Amino acid sequence: MTVVKEVKIENKILRQKKKGKSKLSLILNTGILGWFLIFSVWSVVSYFSDPLFLPSPLATLKGAIEIASDGSLFIYMGYSFARVFAGWTLGLLIAVPTGLLLGTNPFVRSLLAPIVNFVRFIPPLAFITLFMLWFGIGEQSKVFLIVYATFFVITINTFTGVLSISKDKLRSAQIIGATKFQTLIYVIIPATIPYIFTGAKLAMGSSFMAIIGAEMVAAKEGIGFMIWNARLYFKTEWIFVGLVVLGLMGFLMDRLFTYLGKKLLSRYKVVS
Amino acid sequence: MTAVEDAIVLKNGSKTFQEDAENPVYVLENINLTIKKGEFYILLGPSGCGKSTLLNIFAGFLDLSDGDLQIITSNKTNRNSCGFVFQSADSALFPWLTVEENISFGLKMKKMPLEERREIAEYYIKLTGLTGHGKKFPDNLSGGMKQRVQLARVLANEPEILLMDEPFGALDAMTRRSMQKELIRIWRETNKTVIFVTHDIQEAILLGQRIGIMSIGPSSKITSSYEINLPYPRDITSIEFNKYYRQVQAHFEDINLQIEER
Repeated sequence: MTVVKEVKIENKILRQKKKGKSKLSLILNTGILGWFLIFSVWSVVSYFSDPLFLPSPLATLKGAIEIASDGSLFIYMGYSFARVFAGWTLGLLIAVPTGLLLGTNPFVRSLLAPIVNFVRFIPPLAFITLFMLWFGIGEQSKVFLIVYATFFVITINTFTGVLSISKDKLRSAQIIGATKFQTLIYVIIPATIPYIFTGAKLAMGSSFMAIIGAEMVAAKEGIGFMIWNARLYFKTEWIFVGLVVLGLMGFLMDRLFTYLGKKLLSRYKVVS
Repeated sequence: MTAVEDAIVLKNGSKTFQEDAENPVYVLENINLTIKKGEFYILLGPSGCGKSTLLNIFAGFLDLSDGDLQIITSNKTNRNSCGFVFQSADSALFPWLTVEENISFGLKMKKMPLEERREIAEYYIKLTGLTGHGKKFPDNLSGGMKQRVQLARVLANEPEILLMDEPFGALDAMTRRSMQKELIRIWRETNKTVIFVTHDIQEAILLGQRIGIMSIGPSSKITSSYEINLPYPRDITSIEFNKYYRQVQAHFEDINLQIEER
């Protein structure tokens, strides 16, 4: 009897421990603790520092309200977002077919793969001046720069995806009598979707890198311009506003994309 | 007795993998094989003996380097009248399609209307014992179930010849046993020609009407052939079964001796 009781009590304690653990992990999962830690360190360090050198979180918030009050913050965000979105979408539209072509056609692959592997190591920022020369200082050059920044990541991911399709899948389609075109549409593309998705996600990061560079060098609007411009007015807090806004934009875009991917492409097992 | 038609006739079939043009490496050399319509034929041999290569040639995945291959089917001499069951269902099935969609994939490629496709898929779901799993994705099924899906997917295209490449090799012993039983049942119901590759002697004698034993490569050949005159379903514990087992086993031990002497 007593033994049974003891076991029961032990089980109860174990269960309570588990419950407590799950609550903690729930809080940890929201990421609130991490943010709290960063903000505390930032506050403390900035307290002992010159606001010109390191503005406090509060000063940054004030700065944000300052730029937001005349709407310019939102206009800048809109500009940067629109450029990234346009360039990224266009890049996706060009890169996916290119990747599929590279993956499915050995001739094209041996022709283009060496070039792709050479050019992809040239960072987009190195092309800013050239792109301005070729496409003007307007929106075109910036959008094309993002197309460039997204192109290689997505192309290489797509093409890796095609190459990693198991031979058995292609042969299954072949022996069933599927034409080459049917195999592309019903086997190769569905099997490659997770790779394309990952490529598109990674490309978002490179898009942001490229756009901020471009806006710093040649723009009258956008978050990059705002960060670069802040130095003229000794507004260090605006730089911080810019950084936070960039992080937020990227984070939200990524979340939205992942959410949509999971909703619409769940059967293709896209990885978040 | 009416003459049974041939399903596959291979004459002097050779397959080389050219490392350089002057010294080709023979994988298969001078193979002669005739398989009758409706026959359950087993290709038995150790790993790397080229039995899968031979099966891939029958399927049209690989070409013969030399020799003549005839696949004879009732409507036309067309390689699409073969169906192929791969060893790994994971790599052969389409994980983004449900069980039902996987099974009717070939019919979709033939542009058959959805309603008809569903009907046929439903029939093969029942035949292969997958009732109730049609809407699931392959990843949510066990290994044996996945292999059933693969079999159903192949059968749905109504091939006359079924090529099976160690289809039960990756399954646990119990699942394998029940799949073997099911296969025999389906074979007898559908009257297909089956060519089944395995390295398991017991499986070979349990399933096959005729067993072709392949020697170890390079330059593999079908060295001998056994007719298994036992009624289905076969009992692996029976005396007759074990007679055959001992015979084939002894054959392999001879081969092993030869290799050691080499």
